[in-house]
Amino acid sequence: MRAVRRDLLTALRRTPSFIHIRSLAHQSRRTLSSATTSQAADTSHSSVNPDEIAHFSRLSSMWWDERGEFGLLHKMNPVRMQFIRDKVLEIMRDDEGELSAERERNVLQGLDVLDVGCGGGLLCESLARQGGNTLGIDASASNITIASLHASSDPALRFSDSGPSASSSSHTKGGQLRYEHTSVEALLAREGPRRFDVVCSMEVLEHVDNPRQFLQHCAELVKPGGHLFLSTISRTPLAYLLTIFAAEHLLRLVTPGTHTYAKYVKPAELLGFFQAYRSPPSPSTSTTLSTPTPSTSAESAADATRPWISRLYGGVPARTEAETRGIVYVPWNGEWTLVPRGAPGKECAEAVNYLFWVRRPRED
Amino acid sequence: MLTAFRVSKRRVRLATRATRSLSTTANHEESDIVIVGGGPAGLTLASALGSSHAVRDTLKVTLIEAGDLDKVRGWSMQPGKFSNRVSSITNASQAFLQDIGAWDHVGVERTCPIEEMQVWDGISDARIMFSAAEMPSPAGFPQGEMARLTENLNLQRALLRHLASHPTIQLLDKVKLQSISCEEREGGGWPLVHLSDGRVLRARLLVGADGPNSPVRAFSGIQSYGWAYDTHAVVATLDHVPRSPFEPPNTTAYQRFLPTGPIAFLPISATASSLVWSTTPALARRLVASEPAVLADMINAAFRLPEVSMRYLHDRLLEADAPLSASVLRDEIAFRERAHGVDPRSAYAVTVGATTGVPPADADAVPPLVTSIQPGTVASFPLRYNHADAYVGEGAGARTVLVGDAAHTVHPLAGQGLNMGLADVEALARCIHDALSRGGDIGSYTALLPYARERYFENHKIMSAVDKLHKLYAAQSAPVVWARSVGVEVLNELDTLKAAVMMTAGSGRYSSQSAKAVGWDLAASGIENVARGVGAAKSVTDALIGIAGAGVQGLLRQVTSPRRS
Repeated sequence: MRAVRRDLLTALRRTPSFIHIRSLAHQSRRTLSSATTSQAADTSHSSVNPDEIAHFSRLSSMWWDERGEFGLLHKMNPVRMQFIRDKVLEIMRDDEGELSAERERNVLQGLDVLDVGCGGGLLCESLARQGGNTLGIDASASNITIASLHASSDPALRFSDSGPSASSSSHTKGGQLRYEHTSVEALLAREGPRRFDVVCSMEVLEHVDNPRQFLQHCAELVKPGGHLFLSTISRTPLAYLLTIFAAEHLLRLVTPGTHTYAKYVKPAELLGFFQAYRSPPSPSTSTTLSTPTPSTSAESAADATRPWISRLYGGVPARTEAETRGIVYVPWNGEWTLVPRGAPGKECAEAVNYLFWVRRPRED
Repeated sequence: MLTAFRVSKRRVRLATRATRSLSTTANHEESDIVIVGGGPAGLTLASALGSSHAVRDTLKVTLIEAGDLDKVRGWSMQPGKFSNRVSSITNASQAFLQDIGAWDHVGVERTCPIEEMQVWDGISDARIMFSAAEMPSPAGFPQGEMARLTENLNLQRALLRHLASHPTIQLLDKVKLQSISCEEREGGGWPLVHLSDGRVLRARLLVGADGPNSPVRAFSGIQSYGWAYDTHAVVATLDHVPRSPFEPPNTTAYQRFLPTGPIAFLPISATASSLVWSTTPALARRLVASEPAVLADMINAAFRLPEVSMRYLHDRLLEADAPLSASVLRDEIAFRERAHGVDPRSAYAVTVGATTGVPPADADAVPPLVTSIQPGTVASFPLRYNHADAYVGEGAGARTVLVGDAAHTVHPLAGQGLNMGLADVEALARCIHDALSRGGDIGSYTALLPYARERYFENHKIMSAVDKLHKLYAAQSAPVVWARSVGVEVLNELDTLKAAVMMTAGSGRYSSQSAKAVGWDLAASGIENVARGVGAAKSVTDALIGIAGAGVQGLLRQVTSPRRS
């Protein structure tokens, strides 16, 4: 507890232009209140890399400088949101048929959304504006401070920093937004599996220590039929050239040391992982085993342990199970472009940054 | 003028500094979009936002205006009388206004289609003719209409009527903008707009639609680059005789480039047209002060007499101790006509006024003779070139964006000022809508960047072309005039000017392919017409040049036709 406080204070001191002394006490109190809920978790950050956290804590004050360190990330945000929106709508249309205009506008209305590694809350705010009841978690306390600070200045966000219970002003369209300083492991331990309709983790996978375990934990938090969105960088020479050599060393768009080449993950590796990955059978399934209809429950148990991706068709998964899409930065336009589905040269388009979506099989 | 808040930059800065020291975050109202200025650009933005379901449902939009909007709502003039502030609304702008549902409220009986445009050089008489029949018109528009001349108040009234059906858009009029300050908050505050009635609005996005002296631009810290032309524009509403049944209807706009500046004649009805005469400040003062009959004759002469005589008349107007009387001017013009050997039966005769019987063959080469000036419509204002360095504010001026005259002021010779503003508004509304659909913060730099990227270069292109044209035609040196007369320079500028006049504003509605084809086609007819002008001197050369012109024209048509098919 005290350690957390010291970390926090040093982090805050490193961001002098941002935090006025007047508000320091207030800020630290606010973050501590959320940190207390997760203090048990702090000791068991299995996939969290302390060096990475220290790196991003140092940069935390820059999160909302749209022309600075995270400028490229700000520009990437609309593209990620487009992908999330399109994919969720597509699956909803498959399941429910034609959707109402209201649903088209607020895609995530009424859904529980988790953003793992939320950083300064760039994605979380957008998710909440689309109607999602959003929880952003990050292993860096100063990131959470910055994210909370930023969200509290926006009256349209139903931001609460006092835990999940607060629910006021239900007339606003957006979903609730909360931030918590915790790890995905601790969250899973506390909340249990099958908690969220949508789990996102953007540009995080290439920063964690044990990606396999990290993916498992994220996947377990997804409700049956829910969505898991990832974005990361592929492990190709081109990716090294652009994201490390050019962006970090040559152009200094990003602080050197932000990325580690060996931690990059290829799309095929993610697809492979979810071809093999089966969700653990739910506790409710095991209780239904004792009910008088053993045949159906046995069936659903079998369903539950189906792999998330049943098979690949020439390296490509079925549209309803998973999808990978490259995103390419176009310097002369100054913006990111989502490579259209079915565009030629899919491999090349996904050689650097790409988005990944997979759906947890339904259990009905 | 409704849009302009006459607040000097320095006063805004001082006020900003003063309020920054006070922490006034307590009593403020939240508003997602605050539009400053209830002119055409501001009202169109409010209308466009109101017509979008997504925006209407999620965002609170407030427009503030110092003037009384009820006056605009209740504006009406008797038929035949017209306001002196008019704009030619391009088809692209009109399509946008139709999309948002505002055009239906325009009193169309008070507007006039422009089907043809004749532009000629004051010294060499080289002439370019643009005809709408040569360009493809977008779906839903009558073929052969290139723009529609509309009184600004007619458009503003239509926008207000349209806004009446969208009560969620809050219109605050008769309230002045006292100052704008930046909220004190860690990590960048939002703009606070202090109003004269004591209210404070906290804006997620502050839109400056507040004219050339934009207080929003001053707050945002955006510098602007420009200069004042040594030119004033004289505007007036002109009464004239109707065109006879043997002539084309009054749907042709005329513009003559005199060395002192272009004079334009814009049709607004069968018997009335609007004048925009750019000239030297001294001449403008004299023209405005002179009696209506003198102004009418000066206008008639300016479209007809050779340049050397116009220079003489200008001098007479300037040197006279007492204002020139109508009869003296008449005598002067009659003398100049005799000296030049102007046939009294031709359309170029001012004093005789051949208005009955069969019209002369060249009747459509000049506008109809002005008979009187509508009372109270004569005014003049200085012309400027001004372009803001950026359209989106940053740092302490973050969450601000500029549209219309607040972003750019342009010479009126191509009639593009309002159209550029409407195109800005269309792009900004689309940008806001897109950001909203992706859960973006519409006040953020990232969300607004597509707007700036879409409009900045586009506006810059038009503004530079117009600026260059102004300077080119103001030149009197022999090589420039020669180049001008044979159309070399004119052809260079033609493509851009044409695009500017007809279709670029509100871009994105025409494919670049067809725009290019149109450009070539117009170049072809340009050569024809220039050739005609030069050839008028000698009939032998006329035939020769005619053949050459037709040859080049045929070649160009051949080049373009496969592309258009």
